[in-house]
Formats: sequence, structure tokens, C-alpha cells
Amino acid sequence: MNPVYLDHAATTPVRPEVREAMAPFADSVFGNPSSQHRWGREASAALENARADAAAALGARNAEVYFVRGGTEADNLAVCGACRALAAATDGGRPRLLVSAIEHHAVLHVAESMAEAGEAQLEIFPVREDGSLDLDPIRSALADGPALVSCMWVNNETGIVLPVEDLSRLALEADAILHTDAVQAVGKLPVDLGAVEGIHLLTVSGHKIYGPKGTGLLFVRRGVGLAPLLHGGGQERKLRPGTEDVAGAVGLAAALRLAVDEREAEAARLTALRERLEARLTDELEGVVVAGASARRAPHVANMGFEGIDPTMLLINLDLEGIAASGASACQSGSGKGSHVIEALYGAANGRAHVRFSLGHLSDEENVSRAADKIVEVVRRLRGAA
Amino acid sequence: MSRVLVAMSGGVDSSVAAALLVEAGHEVVGVTMKTFCYSETPDSGKTCCGLDGIVDARRVATALDIPHYVFDVEEDFTRDVIDDFVREYARGRTPNPCVRCNSNTKFRDLLRRGEALGCDRIATGHYVRIEHHDDGSSLLRGLDGGKDQSYFLWGLPREMLPKLLFPLGDLTKREVRERARALELATAEKPESQEICFVPTGDYRDLLAKKLPEPHPALRPGPIVRTDGTVVGEHDGYAGFTVGQRRGLGGGFTEPLFVLEVRPTTREVVVGTRDELRRDQVEVAELNWLADAPGEGDRVAVQMRYRAPAVPATVRARGEALVLELDEGYPAITPGQSAVVFDGARVLGGGRIVEARVAAAV
Repeated sequence: MNPVYLDHAATTPVRPEVREAMAPFADSVFGNPSSQHRWGREASAALENARADAAAALGARNAEVYFVRGGTEADNLAVCGACRALAAATDGGRPRLLVSAIEHHAVLHVAESMAEAGEAQLEIFPVREDGSLDLDPIRSALADGPALVSCMWVNNETGIVLPVEDLSRLALEADAILHTDAVQAVGKLPVDLGAVEGIHLLTVSGHKIYGPKGTGLLFVRRGVGLAPLLHGGGQERKLRPGTEDVAGAVGLAAALRLAVDEREAEAARLTALRERLEARLTDELEGVVVAGASARRAPHVANMGFEGIDPTMLLINLDLEGIAASGASACQSGSGKGSHVIEALYGAANGRAHVRFSLGHLSDEENVSRAADKIVEVVRRLRGAA
Repeated sequence: MSRVLVAMSGGVDSSVAAALLVEAGHEVVGVTMKTFCYSETPDSGKTCCGLDGIVDARRVATALDIPHYVFDVEEDFTRDVIDDFVREYARGRTPNPCVRCNSNTKFRDLLRRGEALGCDRIATGHYVRIEHHDDGSSLLRGLDGGKDQSYFLWGLPREMLPKLLFPLGDLTKREVRERARALELATAEKPESQEICFVPTGDYRDLLAKKLPEPHPALRPGPIVRTDGTVVGEHDGYAGFTVGQRRGLGGGFTEPLFVLEVRPTTREVVVGTRDELRRDQVEVAELNWLADAPGEGDRVAVQMRYRAPAVPATVRARGEALVLELDEGYPAITPGQSAVVFDGARVLGGGRIVEARVAAAV
């Protein structure tokens, strides 16, 4: 059987338009953008065109886009950089750092390390199963001195959409900084930074949207202070020194522009496929739940919990049948640990095997339906054997 | 052809085992068992979770174009192997952790998960042979006498034998290396692992110190005595001693002295001459049989350490424990080690040595 890739939230293939846009920058346009000569100018023009494209796609100003080397780096720069800038602005005080319990580890572990180092007062706020937040405690925490809130826009494991717009209003009222990891949101939801003024920092990753791996950008709203993590040359206005990856920036910008242009149609297509997949599994199998079923969700992620089977055995059996899915987010699945997201939403031992199926360009009606057949078959077989 | 689950440690032997199964036309699924997390040991620059082994196994599996998965057995392994290892040393005995792992953890887990993955057979890179007949299966020594690992496998559940494959049983280590080189496997030049996998420092007393409640008698100084009670020195913890081990005592003793006995209750380590070490009766408990168990009066061969030859013996009693009378006195019968019973090359079964005695009148 032809394999079915249902792990687009882990990563995606570089799309042909992106590869084509990047092609000249491997050898023919190879200059260092910092050089004054013809070669350098050519490279720097390409870099700035990419920045303008990316900014336009996000509703940002060109000068608010900083190219970095991936989503994790952008998250680190946002959380550490903003905390340190807040501390510096308040004579070394320890700013409050509020993050949701279901953040990606690229935020959660950074926040914990800032707290351990005594650089921030960390508070982790819960998220309800329907994706909503209890805003009052957050509001009162924000009233209490300089603060950074970091809350992802779309949760990577469940697709749950978090109320970032609500938080942005709180942040504006309280004069706090709001960072959002939008790695799973861009190209899936409308993201217009011109319209949501209270988002100060926003993370984008290239490889989740059919761009190259190792590319990302951090949006930094004009006037927001950020301390750099790396020191060196003056690239990216001293916020991210190091000779720029022009090919990567061009690829990221091209991918981002296409993702935003095609968002509406693609979101509708994926939502229909996802709903069909969820309906088939819940209709044909007993003891199956959709994580975040009552929440507003991004179009591409179906996190299904299957009662009475071992999650590792389920994933391996699916792989042997040619179906790629993931357990906890892919970064965690080598570690054998349970998902902190499912735990935060449903408690430690809910006894279900949670698997994330994530859809994208490689998905169509035929292969999603074929995958559903196989999933039903494997789950039945495993339950029969147990 | 059948679907075979092969345990891949990331070493050269299991790499070649997997390659041979692929060549034979099986549908092969590779797995590496994650037994122990190195990041929790204070020393080492080693990365987490025996990651080197996992990574190497993954490279080989990918080159062979077979799937590869990691099974986390850390919890079971800690309970059944590491905790037992610590408990045995605390009792003054010398355990075989690899036997414990094979008997209790590794093969049982492979079988259970293999079934869930639709695998008919389980394979490993041990140097042993298995013959499958209509009326059952026999486990035999590997043909390479220098590498034979049958000593470690007496504790397998007997009902598992029909499902096992050991592709290296007919090969020598040299041939295995050559195959690995010919196939350009990433692990072809990897050195043998010698140390116990969960004792990366090579000194198991570090682990005991971490695991035993402090201060534990096994790690406190005590007297070194002769059989007549004469104190001849002091030791720094009886857990560091193994019966049969040669013990240097410094000046004054012309004869080499050996550890005869470890007495946890008094913390005494008894030493004596090589002659005093000889025993001709051994009691073996926690028995497991891979063939019909021998009866009283049956002649068998018994191997009491890895790489030692099996020696002839007669079964004297058999019940909860097995008592074997050796044809000749044998030095260094170590409580806690495995005694494996053979009929020629065939493994009949085995158990853990409880005690060694000198039979009847001396």
C-alpha cells in the first residue's frame, strides 16, 4: 500500500515554488549581504525583498521582521530577550513571566530556565479543554509590575486555538508584553499583526509551512525592547548576529507568502478532510475521543484518544502499515514520556492512547480514507490481542 | 516469509543478525531496548539513554531498509535487573545481571511487543544455536567456543523457544566482523562492550553506594579472616568481594590467597588457599528448565561461570533446589552466579548458585 503521511504538524516537504525561489542563492548569488560590492549588494537586496514579502504576509512593517534560524530560536529570543529587556528597564527587577501550561517546550523549558536562574517570576496558567482561559487571574497578575505573557496561538499537539486576541487586549490595558508562538497558526488562521495591536512578539517557523528547515522569523513590534542572545556582528540590527542565511530567508518568505495567499481555500479543504477522518474513527470504533472537540481548532490537527491500547504499539503498528502519525509532539516522542499537553487538559492518567494525525498538502480524500480504514483495523486488532 | 522482530543493541553482532535475516528474505523489524538512562549518572559525558547504541542501531536499520523502534523498558529493567543486582551484592553474593535481563526483561518484552506487532519470530545476535523440531526446540551452544553465550540464556521461558531465531549461532566472531565489513555496516568496527550496561564507570560499587541506604554494612569496613578465625586484615566493604577472587594481602603471605566466603552478618571476608577453595557439591535454586529436567542420578555437565568449561556432575537431589555432585573438586563456585546444566551442547536449564559444599567426610 502507498504510505500516507499524516504528520504535517511535525514537518512538511519544501514545495517546488520555494525550492525554485531558493535555487540561485546556493551558488550564483552567494555574496555576503554585509559586503558593499556588487555581490554583497545583490545578496542584501534579496534578503530585504524577502523581509518585505514576509512582513506583508503578516501585516507587519519590514523593520519588525527579524530572520532567525528556526522556531525554537525565535521562541528563546522572545522569552529570554524580552525578560532581560524588562529587567534592564526596571533596574534589574525580576519581571513576571506568564506562560500557558500547554506551550511547546521551546517556550516552556525556556521559561523554566529563566525562573531557575532567578531572571523571572514564572507563573503557568491552565487552559480548559475547550481552549478557553480564566482571564481574571492573568489580568490581576499583569497589574502587578512589568510582565511578559507567552501564549501559543495554535497548540501543536491538539490544534486547539488559544484566545490570543483576548490576551492582547489584556496586555495593552496592563502595558505588558505579549509573545505568541504562531508556528502552527500561520497559513491556518488569519494572522494580521496590523489588526491585533497587542501582539508584540510572534514566532514563525519555515519548515511547518513547506519552507526550509532551520529557518524562522521573530516579529518584534516597533518600540518593543529585546536583549540579544548572541553577540557578534551587527546583522539583523544586532538582534541576531551571524552572516545571514539568504537562501533560507528567501525560502521562508516565499513559503509564508504562499501559505497566507492560499490559506482560505486550504483551510476549508483540510477542515473537511479532518472532520471526515474524525467522524469515521468515532463512528466505527468504540472508546475514541477527539481532544479539544469542544474547542475552536486549527484545520489540520486531529488528536484522537483511543481507549485500552498502548500508544507506542499503536504508532508502530500504524508505521508498519505505512501510516505516519505521532504521539506526543515529534520532538518528544523519542523520549518515551507522555504528553504534557494531554496531561494538562485531561489529567495524568486518562488511560487513552493519544495520537496526532495532522493533514496538509500531501493529504487528499483518497489517502485519508485509506488511512482511516487502516487505523480502524489496527485499533481493532490491538484491542483484540489485549 | 515471516515477520521477525530483531533486538538491535547498536553493536556489530545484532547488526549482522539483522542483516542475515533480511538476506534470508524475512520481513524484519528492528528494535532497541532503552534500559537505562546515563544522564542520571554523575560521571559521564555519555549522552542520555544509551543513545549511542540507539543511534547506531537506527543507522544500521536504515541502511538495511528496515523499520526501527525504541522500546522503553527502563522501569522493568530497574526493578528486575538493577534492584536485584544491588540486593544480591548486599547479601554478599555475585549476580549475573545479563542473565536476569534475558530471563526477566528482554525476551519477555520482545515477545509481548512482537505479538502486538504481528511478528511470528523473535531474533537476537547471541552466539547460540536453536533447533526446532516437531516436538519442541533445543537451545545449543554457539559454534564459536570463544563467543558462545548459552550461559546467559538458561532463564528463558521454555514456551518461547519455538519462536526464537539466533542467526549468529553457526558463525564465529571473526566471520561476523567480516560480514559487517562486507556489508559496510556503520557498526562494523565497533569494539566489544565489556562493562555492565548500567555501570558505565566500570565500578559497580559507585552504583551500590547510590542505591543502598547509608551506611550499609556491605560498604563498611570489616575484617578479613582465615577459616580458623584469625584476622589477617581489613577490607573496605564486603560488596567488593567475589568468592574465588584472588586477594592480595601484602607482605607476609607466601601463598596466594583467595576469597572463600563472604559473611554479610559479621561483615567478614574469609580467605584461604586454593585448596581450601575447592568444593564438590553445589546447590542451585530459582531453577528454570528448557528441556525435560534431569532426574536423580542422571549424569550432566554444569557450567558455573561465563567462559569456564562445563564439568561432569551427578544429580543428587531435585526439587525446589537442585543439588549436583561434581566428579572433581572445583575452585571458585560463587553464590549468586548461574549454574547452567548441559547435556553435551544442549542447554537443559539452570539456576542461581545458593551454596557450595564439600560433600560428606573430608
